[in-house]
Amino acid sequence: MNQEVAPGTVEVPSMGVDNRKLGVWTLLGSEVMFFASLIVTYIVMRGRSVSGPLPHEILDVPLTGLNTFVLICSSLTMVTAVAAIQRGDQRGLRRWLIATALLGLAFLGGQATEFTMLIRHGLSLSSNVFGATFFTLTGFHGAHVFAGVIWISFVLARAFSGAVTKENAVVVDMLGLYWHFVDLVWIIIFTVVYLI
Amino acid sequence: METENQVERPHGTQRVYIGVFTVLAVLTALEVAVTYLPVPRIPVLVPLALTKATLVALFYMHLKYDRRVFSAIFAMGLLVGIGLILALIAIFAPPLLDMK
Repeated sequence: MNQEVAPGTVEVPSMGVDNRKLGVWTLLGSEVMFFASLIVTYIVMRGRSVSGPLPHEILDVPLTGLNTFVLICSSLTMVTAVAAIQRGDQRGLRRWLIATALLGLAFLGGQATEFTMLIRHGLSLSSNVFGATFFTLTGFHGAHVFAGVIWISFVLARAFSGAVTKENAVVVDMLGLYWHFVDLVWIIIFTVVYLI
Repeated sequence: METENQVERPHGTQRVYIGVFTVLAVLTALEVAVTYLPVPRIPVLVPLALTKATLVALFYMHLKYDRRVFSAIFAMGLLVGIGLILALIAIFAPPLLDMK
């Protein structure tokens, strides 16, 4: 039997938490396993390339360190956006979401620059095992950042129409969870791929 | 009807968020610096990365303040993920687990 739910309200779930937020956490739990499989594949295959270019010859740690800093900055702007709407500050929400989207795009720009440089130096998906696992892992992460920027755009569009309020701040909270998770994954990838 | 659990409240203060950001930035700079120093990388860099990831999960993802069910769901994925990593390393690259 269908039950009518008034606009702007949420059905009370049996677990006592918002079902949408529960859904995002479940998604993130499964994403952990997804990225774990990509990371371990990179670790296992890393030393098995029979020809170059090899990681220590080609990876630019300072550039990627800067890109990591950009993503950390975007986490600060995102958490500030979430706090703003939880206070009912719609202007603050819009301002900090725009900043987060721009930082996300800057990260993607940095990654595109890095990929272009690596390809020019002869590293590609098919050049060796390192190339295959490196581009698969970092490429999937980049795709997640891109998806996050699109998600931010949708929430921003709703925010500009005044549809995001203190009462339904959970829509920004869910976006924030996803964005911080993408940052968290990058922290691990940065260490495993670029530093070790 | 809205329950107490569904009311969204700020989980941390701006001072906490900026403090976490500062620690993350400093640790990142430290990580990059370590790559230029003659120190063993894995024992230094892995704890640094885990510290950073934990800070993000606790304070930015609000696991420190939020309902335990969210931590439990995330921990289940984490447990399987870590198990997967250790199992596949043990099978395909066992020297990486050799602590000697």
